Amino acid sequence: MTKRVCAAAVHAVDGTAVIELTGEVDGSAAAVLNAAYQQAIADGTAQTVVLDFARVDYINSTGIALIVSVLAQARAQRRKVVASGLSEHYREIFDITRLSDFIEVFGDLNTALADAGSLREG
Amino acid sequence: MTSVAHPAGRQLASFAVASEPGNERVALARVAEAVAGCGLTGARLERLKTAVAEATMNAIEHGNRNQPEIPVDVEVTQDGPDIIVAITDRGGEHTAPETTGAGPAVTPDLELKLAGEQSPRGWGLFLIRNMVDAMQVSTDGPWHTIQLTMRTGGGHD
Repeated sequence: MTKRVCAAAVHAVDGTAVIELTGEVDGSAAAVLNAAYQQAIADGTAQTVVLDFARVDYINSTGIALIVSVLAQARAQRRKVVASGLSEHYREIFDITRLSDFIEVFGDLNTALADAGSLREG
Repeated sequence: MTSVAHPAGRQLASFAVASEPGNERVALARVAEAVAGCGLTGARLERLKTAVAEATMNAIEHGNRNQPEIPVDVEVTQDGPDIIVAITDRGGEHTAPETTGAGPAVTPDLELKLAGEQSPRGWGLFLIRNMVDAMQVSTDGPWHTIQLTMRTGGGHD
């Protein structure tokens, strides 16, 4: 089985930072995810960070721990983290771990961005 | 394979993986292949795959201490409606019970983790317990086995 190494693309959409992840979110993703988060908040303007999992095909318990670490940093900085593109299975894991109590989950990136935009305008 | 009692039933697969990080993905793929056609589909198949991956990771990391020359043995059987996956490492005499399921359950607390009062890690056994219909742990000398059971047909999706 060929491992799909985790990669992240970071960009901003109307003041919301987006981290689009691909590959496998496991222990080997630590450096990629941490660097992506630091890049996402580097200019200090983003109040919401979207983690997009649409092209992620595997998340394990170590990957969950990495997401917890990102969430802890964001909360300490009073930033909101939301998720998009999770499969039904990983949505269930977000529910079981209670991550979904702290990270709002959207079906896709556009919906997450629309929600972030409406909050900014509201 | 080991001196641990084997589950009764029809053997669907028996294989070993080297104790190297990442090989849990090999185990989950081979288990999924072995149970194809057994009536386990959709969400329940995904849950079994996650449980197998997490149990294999524990066996590699905690049981066999990432020593590639020590294998993790995986046996898949079907006993009536039950799919049983037994994952065996050689950590029976040195593995901390709380990392293997043999000791008291440590329930991860996300609020404590977010407050920095609990390690962000520690989700593996919690996920396994929540993914399968039953989990049993046994130790016999050096052999440490975690047995995962998933019922076909009657389980809740």
